[in-house]
Amino acid sequence: MKKAADVEWIGPAATDGAIAAINLDSARCASWKRFRADPCRAGLAELILEQEHLAAQFLGDLDALGRMEIVADELARIDESSGRTALVEAQVASAAHRFADASRHLAHARLRGAPHARVDRQMLSVDQACGRQLNTVLEARRSIAAASGRLEDLVPLGAVLADLHRFDEADDIYRRAIVAYDDVSPFPLAWTCFQLGVLWSEIATDPDPNRATRWYQRAIEYLPRYVKARVHLAEICAVDGRLADAEALLVPALLSGDPEVSWRLADVLVQQKRGDESATHLCTARVRFEELLARHPLAFADHAAEFYAGSGGDHSRALDLARANLANRPTRRAAELASAIASSNDAAKTPCGVPFHAEVVV
Amino acid sequence: MSDHVDGPRSIGDPSADLSDLFAFTSPANSARTVLATCVFPSAGESAIFSNVIDHAIIVRRVSVTGVGNAAKFQAADDEIRFSLRFDVLKRDPAGKSLQRGTCTLPGGRSLEVVVNDEKGASTPEGDVRVFAGLRSDPFFLAWIVPELRKFPNLLQHDNVLIIVIEFDTQKLLEPAKGSLFGVCAETVPIPQPRSFIGHPVPRIDWVGRPEQTNMRLNNPAPEMAGTDDLRDLWNQQKPFAISKELQPLFLQRLKDSLAVWDMRDGKQDWTPEALAANASVFLDDFLLFDVAKSITDTSHLEIEKSTINGQPYQTGGGRTVDANVIDILITWLVNRDREFMQGGATSATKPGIKVFPYFATPNTTLQTVADSVELPATPDKVWALVGKFGGTWHPLIAKMRTTGSGIGELRVIETVDGKEIVERLDALDNGKRFYRYTNIAGIPASNYTGTFKVNPKGAGSVVEWNAQFLANNQPDLLVRTIVATLFKTGLESLKVRFGGPK
Repeated sequence: MKKAADVEWIGPAATDGAIAAINLDSARCASWKRFRADPCRAGLAELILEQEHLAAQFLGDLDALGRMEIVADELARIDESSGRTALVEAQVASAAHRFADASRHLAHARLRGAPHARVDRQMLSVDQACGRQLNTVLEARRSIAAASGRLEDLVPLGAVLADLHRFDEADDIYRRAIVAYDDVSPFPLAWTCFQLGVLWSEIATDPDPNRATRWYQRAIEYLPRYVKARVHLAEICAVDGRLADAEALLVPALLSGDPEVSWRLADVLVQQKRGDESATHLCTARVRFEELLARHPLAFADHAAEFYAGSGGDHSRALDLARANLANRPTRRAAELASAIASSNDAAKTPCGVPFHAEVVV
Repeated sequence: MSDHVDGPRSIGDPSADLSDLFAFTSPANSARTVLATCVFPSAGESAIFSNVIDHAIIVRRVSVTGVGNAAKFQAADDEIRFSLRFDVLKRDPAGKSLQRGTCTLPGGRSLEVVVNDEKGASTPEGDVRVFAGLRSDPFFLAWIVPELRKFPNLLQHDNVLIIVIEFDTQKLLEPAKGSLFGVCAETVPIPQPRSFIGHPVPRIDWVGRPEQTNMRLNNPAPEMAGTDDLRDLWNQQKPFAISKELQPLFLQRLKDSLAVWDMRDGKQDWTPEALAANASVFLDDFLLFDVAKSITDTSHLEIEKSTINGQPYQTGGGRTVDANVIDILITWLVNRDREFMQGGATSATKPGIKVFPYFATPNTTLQTVADSVELPATPDKVWALVGKFGGTWHPLIAKMRTTGSGIGELRVIETVDGKEIVERLDALDNGKRFYRYTNIAGIPASNYTGTFKVNPKGAGSVVEWNAQFLANNQPDLLVRTIVATLFKTGLESLKVRFGGPK
């Protein structure tokens, strides 16, 4: 059922998205300048990771992962045995979806005296990303969100509820996150709107594309350079036959270098019978996916699997990637992806020997 | 840091994070007062102001209502408010992004400013002049505060966004009615007439004296470990009007913190009564300045210190651009001015300037990449291959398109990994086997100038390639690596063609 706020939604004001994106780049570059002068400065490595994470998450700057690795490598070079270094290494590993590495670094961090609260917090994120012990994760997320009431704690709670298919609860929590927000940066608001879009377009068993569309549009209003929101909204437009709208969403995002933009644009162009242009973008997507897979194989395994299962046209590669993704993070979505690819290829009914976690399907 | 990143919440949008506040007499004209405030600590070179924040500098007349252990500064209710709001980015006729702002002056007049216009904007009457834009951070902190260990300036080469308001002292402050003032700056979200979701955010940040939040309320000394972080709560208070209910909480925290500061050198210099008076004065957190007296680089906090010491103050207090506020503060807190505590630096990256806008130009770092290769072939033979601006000898070039010829010629290079680089020929001398070019696009750098030349060396030649640029939205190291790789790959390929040095 649609909620009144869906119809008459005017969200909190935030700094113009173009200004915020410029200022993120500005602050990120300034942080790197300081890092080169004094890589050990308290809090600086952590700040850079946050800024690089924002660049990757919102601006589609996938080279950010490589830059994050530079931070971890530099700290490891200077002080390999510190708990802080292990925490940073864990964070970088998580960002690249190397969850086994992340868990190992967190165990080291604990042994080396890193604050337990920080270790536990990062471990919680790893467990959630891997779909492990989701009911335990849920309780922990509830507790953290109740204590702080902050958007940044409410959104992960909404995400775990969505993973557990408790869609309406997830929706409520995301909305509470927006209400609770007490700053003017557009990034957290855009993130929450995007999560609501994903919830109603991709996770819900009974998708509501109109509802998802409105949330993706809001995410883009907050942050016009939000590459993932543009891609997801373009997909809905394309399915709906609004190909010009889809193209208009994707073209400005091409500059980001995110291969998914080129891939989705290629699909849209094919539907418009613009085969030559489509082939160029498809080629770009393939080259870029392979570049990224070479450097961060697990971080892009799921998206690349979808690409090769679709217009990338390489089912065998798709299945390998989907299996690698499932082995790395045995979530419901990973299993569904592997299963769908296997089925479409008339491959074995069981896509691989790694079952996704039993708790996920409760 | 002075008020830099002074709470978990202010980290949300750095452009709303206030870091410093200044009040001083214009060094260019003693009849004018300058108030200035900084936002966006550690801003990069492209930083701009938020468009949803009201940046205000608020002045109130103050009177001394108690001295010694009863020291008290009472602010009047009436305020003199300067308020700046900025627009979203616009394009100028040349297509360059620019940001404008509007400063609302006391009495309701307004003044339009263009961000980063060094001349600023003046009222028709000439009584007020305003600048807003990026400058070198005038603040310096040369201590590792938790350990109270001297250290080089932690903000070396940093920039901040600064708002500078210079005005006719007599006209705007009317010092005949009282020459002592308190000043605060605040960042408050501009109220939105139509927001159905969420709640209005009362305030992001405010600042009076340096280090109220990061060193006094949230004392980083190990002895204060485990205490609650009160900074966000403090930042949401109204300047000049701390909530009566919360005053005891903040006062007790200040007393506890100042007691720890006093013992940082192992000696007790403060009696409990004097320490309580100091805490009470700091609770009224506004920067004091007296326009009838001299404001110098060393007069910061003199008004407060003399009053707590039971003596009439001698200077105008305030805070100049170059004031060493941290060492003045630490000395006062740790040993009550028994012995000056000099940190690991005596000045900021750049000193203030004597003319409007008084704060030094932003710090930029011009990057240089240079490489060369010696070849056994004659310079003319090498130049015949590499001297054509639109040539395709470089192995990373997949395709080359050129537009025009001679000076101004554009080359559009498609690299083997699908990137596009656009460059313009700026100078060419075939006789000297030299050309200079500018990168237009494709390398994350601005002000990029490259030179390429072939000189004789013995019986052979040497090819020299260098570039200077400012890294643009990427770490310097990364851009240097990109450029250096480009040069190295090209020059190494010449060795293959012509053979290495003999």
